[in-house]
Amino acid sequence: MNRITTLGLFGRFATALIGVVVIQGILSFKFKVFGYFDLPLICCVYYGFTLSNPIASIVIGSSLGLMQDSLSGGILGANGLSKTLIAFLAASAGQKFAVDQLITRVFALFLFSLGDDILVTILALVVGPTSNPTYSGAMGSWLLSATFNTLFGLVLFGYHDRWRDATT
Amino acid sequence: MSRIVVASKKPVWIALTVALVIHIALISLQGHRRIDTGFIRVWVLDSLAPLEKLADRLLFGARQAWDRYIVLVGVHEENLRLKRENDELRMQVIQEQEAIAEAERIRALAGFKPSGIGKPLIARVIARDPARSQTITIDKGRVHGLRPDIAVITPAGVVGRVIQSSNFFSIVQLIIDSQSAVGVMLQSTRRQGILKGTGGPDLDLDYIDDDNDLKEGDMFLTSGGDRIYPKGMPVGVITSVGARRGLLKVVRVRPSADLGRLEEVMCVIERQEKVDVVDPTQVQAVP
Repeated sequence: MNRITTLGLFGRFATALIGVVVIQGILSFKFKVFGYFDLPLICCVYYGFTLSNPIASIVIGSSLGLMQDSLSGGILGANGLSKTLIAFLAASAGQKFAVDQLITRVFALFLFSLGDDILVTILALVVGPTSNPTYSGAMGSWLLSATFNTLFGLVLFGYHDRWRDATT
Repeated sequence: MSRIVVASKKPVWIALTVALVIHIALISLQGHRRIDTGFIRVWVLDSLAPLEKLADRLLFGARQAWDRYIVLVGVHEENLRLKRENDELRMQVIQEQEAIAEAERIRALAGFKPSGIGKPLIARVIARDPARSQTITIDKGRVHGLRPDIAVITPAGVVGRVIQSSNFFSIVQLIIDSQSAVGVMLQSTRRQGILKGTGGPDLDLDYIDDDNDLKEGDMFLTSGGDRIYPKGMPVGVITSVGARRGLLKVVRVRPSADLGRLEEVMCVIERQEKVDVVDPTQVQAVP
């Protein structure tokens, strides 16, 4: 019985993670503005904060990053490495700090989003061709993306809080 | 107490180290090209792309239902306008057919080989990349004849090239991707050059024989020199010519194809070279 419960939980998580990557691909294609969102990143921070379980968060971050890399045609492992670190840091922060505070969430989401973009770009520079790897508007794009991710993450966390309050 | 805390932290660091080592190894292997990691992409693409296709079909169906049955206001006026446009276009087609027939006659006289882009295969775009590099996923793969380095175009212009194919799906790198380069020639002067993607919405001119006569509005066509894209396809239009940086002026080019709104694309699975070289055995004396 216990094994079935564990399998069910694992299946739910796997479905959610695959769903996030697929939805990101579809929405980016259908609506240009979703190109600025990074749903897998928000998902990493969300699970990191709410589960406060670093090992589970590492697995989630790695899986999401690898799926993103595989579907994007970019460097395999770049998003995986970045999302793994972010999920781990989010889970560690969830254990040590009061991540229920709005200001903490804003800072965390914004910095994680910016850090993810910078790390992935650095890895692309290290592995890919050295000439012209980014365009001049990259910083603006990163800031815009960080803002969108922060806002969307806050909405998601808000729903999580309401659901938690309703069930407790 | 502190010993218990330290002991409980150990598996976390082990898990983190293992995960990081795996990712760094993957990145390193690609950098040195020691092992082909393409099988991981193919496996994930074959697993996830059907879900993307399903979601795309559902959204497409919902939009069709909305467009065909719900939003019918103004259809009559639109119908009349389209009929007028159709009449005008028919006239244009007749004129174009005359021009083509004339060009064919001249070509035959000069002994030119026929031009064309090759065998096209229509594919539907089902998703954009989830990691903000400039790639799209299309619903055709190896079984349809696609393989890496096949050109992907639209009637408006060049879209990109296939970089990864699974059995039924492929990933296409757009020409605006920072890792992309296209061999081009200026339509007006036929000067050859290279356009590189910037990762943003535009392309940068990376090389050209002579940049003195470049001006805004000039059109770049594919040169065919890269052996990927068929010759003569529109690539983009110069939007700005800046000051000289190093050997070249800073030239920005806007892609001719609307890469943000791709629905269907054409994959050139069998290239037909456009060779404008006169075959002496075919040349006949023109009276």
